[in-house]
Amino acid sequence: MLSAYIPLVVDGLADAALIFFVAVGLTLVFSVMRILNVAHGSFYALGAYASVVIGIWLTGRGGPILGLAALVVSPILIAVLLGPLIERTLLRWTYGRPEALQILVTFGLFLILEDAQKLLFGVQPYSNAAPMQIFGISQIGGIVYLNYQLLLIAMAIGVAIGLRLMLKHTRIGKLIVAVVADQEVAQTLGIDSSRVFILAFSLGVFLAALGGALASPTVGVAPGLGSETIVLAFAVAAIGGLGQIEGAALAAILVGLTRSAAIYFAPEFQPVAPYLVMLAVLLVRPYGLFGSVGLRRI
Amino acid sequence: MGIFTFTSGPAAAYGMPGRNAAELVLEKINAQGGIGGVKVKPIYVDEGQGTDGVVAEFRRLAADTNNQAMIAALSSGNCLALAPVAEQLKMPTFMWNCDTHQLFLKDKYQYVYRTNSSTVPEFIASVLYLLSVNPNVKTAAIINPDYAFGRDAGLIFKETLKALKPDVEIVAELYPKLGSPSFNTEISRLSAAQPDVIFSNLWGADLENFVRQAAPRQLFSRGKVILALGESVLQRVGTLLPEGVIVGVIGDGWWKSPHAQANALTRDFVESYRKRYNEYPVFPSFKMANTLYAVKAIYEKALATNKDRWPTREDLIAAAGNLKTETLTGTLELRPDHDGLVDQIVGVTVKDPAYPFPIMGQMVRYPARAVTPPAGIDPIAWIAKLKPDVLATLPKPGSYK
Repeated sequence: MLSAYIPLVVDGLADAALIFFVAVGLTLVFSVMRILNVAHGSFYALGAYASVVIGIWLTGRGGPILGLAALVVSPILIAVLLGPLIERTLLRWTYGRPEALQILVTFGLFLILEDAQKLLFGVQPYSNAAPMQIFGISQIGGIVYLNYQLLLIAMAIGVAIGLRLMLKHTRIGKLIVAVVADQEVAQTLGIDSSRVFILAFSLGVFLAALGGALASPTVGVAPGLGSETIVLAFAVAAIGGLGQIEGAALAAILVGLTRSAAIYFAPEFQPVAPYLVMLAVLLVRPYGLFGSVGLRRI
Repeated sequence: MGIFTFTSGPAAAYGMPGRNAAELVLEKINAQGGIGGVKVKPIYVDEGQGTDGVVAEFRRLAADTNNQAMIAALSSGNCLALAPVAEQLKMPTFMWNCDTHQLFLKDKYQYVYRTNSSTVPEFIASVLYLLSVNPNVKTAAIINPDYAFGRDAGLIFKETLKALKPDVEIVAELYPKLGSPSFNTEISRLSAAQPDVIFSNLWGADLENFVRQAAPRQLFSRGKVILALGESVLQRVGTLLPEGVIVGVIGDGWWKSPHAQANALTRDFVESYRKRYNEYPVFPSFKMANTLYAVKAIYEKALATNKDRWPTREDLIAAAGNLKTETLTGTLELRPDHDGLVDQIVGVTVKDPAYPFPIMGQMVRYPARAVTPPAGIDPIAWIAKLKPDVLATLPKPGSYK
């Protein structure tokens, strides 16, 4: 009987993995820069578009194995191109200003990026399924899964551990933590906080674009992907507690498992499942699972 | 002419073939001198902006007295919002897609016509085909988009099965959100339920995503699958589909059907469409093209009645009554209740060496009158009265060659 629940858990975790990439980037940027970046979902969509276009180009030149490289190359490209540019020109100007203004600015950026996607890629859905077929299939609990889906779960775990290690044990990680703890003291100690901001924001862009790139082989990339993603990412970040990496991970798993349980047992609740989880958590813990009043941690 | 369709968002995968067809057909009509010597100028409105914006655009266009007719809309939601507005503004409006059977269910409109069939004949046809090729079906599952079109189709599918084969058990009913990027959990759930048949009226980018995700996970080889709107994605994902998937065109718009092949105008349309857009027209293209040719016929009828005086909006609506006209793919009849009567073509995917994607084979063409509830009768109650022996009176799969 228990084995009947294994597919439910696998589906829930695969779903959670994709939500995690984008939510953790959102939460990281909030933690360091105190900005709720509404445009974050657009980086997810751009990562997906770039990965499909570059993936098809690379596959055409070196076969599907080379095409896999697009899944890593494109998010790096998006992060390097857009991260510093947007932080320097748009966000820097909003630091210390009212939250409503920051949200308006990032919302404006979101609208611009949505239109830019339509301009560049048109409105037809794009897809490049080659990467998910390379890894073959497995049977779990009598149900066929793509090994690619299982790989996504492993990648998400890897990113969660990698981020934690980076923050704890690398120089740049320690600089980020210092700036989060107290920006003024960090600056008096000689830490260039504006460089930390660029790095942290670009890392956030990279994580969102990585989520989009890894999702692109299994989902159709079409206009609207960004807004779909940002709503979910906000819900997950709120459940986990804004600025909390472990919180984002746990919240993504909760939302993923609840969504798949809904599809298995009460399909009519599937669209609202993430928000029911959010409601339940925030009623008990208004600052999220790992959040707390006034304390800035990462 | 105001022409409403989706040119943005996931629904554009279905809406753009409609817009492409409109461009070609109107160019052709204008090249031949227009309608009664008057060139047609299309004004395209994107339904992707949301219903409020669509209604506002409709009002704005209707205020222009040069605007003679509206071709609106794709989305059933937009149609239901626009119909009362059209009536209020006395604006001749021809619903080019708009499948919901609720359009004319309660309200009577003078200025609104549907130049296509509705959900009831469209989805009854799927069940008739299924029971003809798979009479021993015991279990079925449904995966439809979560809004009126998907819910209505689910209801029609279940009610028709209940009337024609009451012992079929529905083992899963899934209604994922419209525009979902991933259906992976739904695919697991469907695999776990192991139904004899899976019915779906997913469409546009949703249908493409579903096929891309389900095919490698072998969902299509486990049992029969009905993709009621499947023809519209064959060229984009068809290589993933095995043979024998039941696909529909919800209507009669299939570019390789005997009617289409026998019509020189259709062959020309298909060829110019393929040349310009680098793919074959899909059934939404024909829904649009057939509507435009029907509107042209209505104008010509009004011009003849008027002894060539350009018709007013009232003249146009008067001429639309009881129209029967040849379209690119068959015949369209407008009933006194303003609903369209269109035959239903259903087939299965077959491989053809001449095409890099599967095409429709083993086709049947169900006559419109046999599958459409009569005017003024509750369609669901009409379905409940269907008898299993109706199958014996209808043409068989493979008979439409």
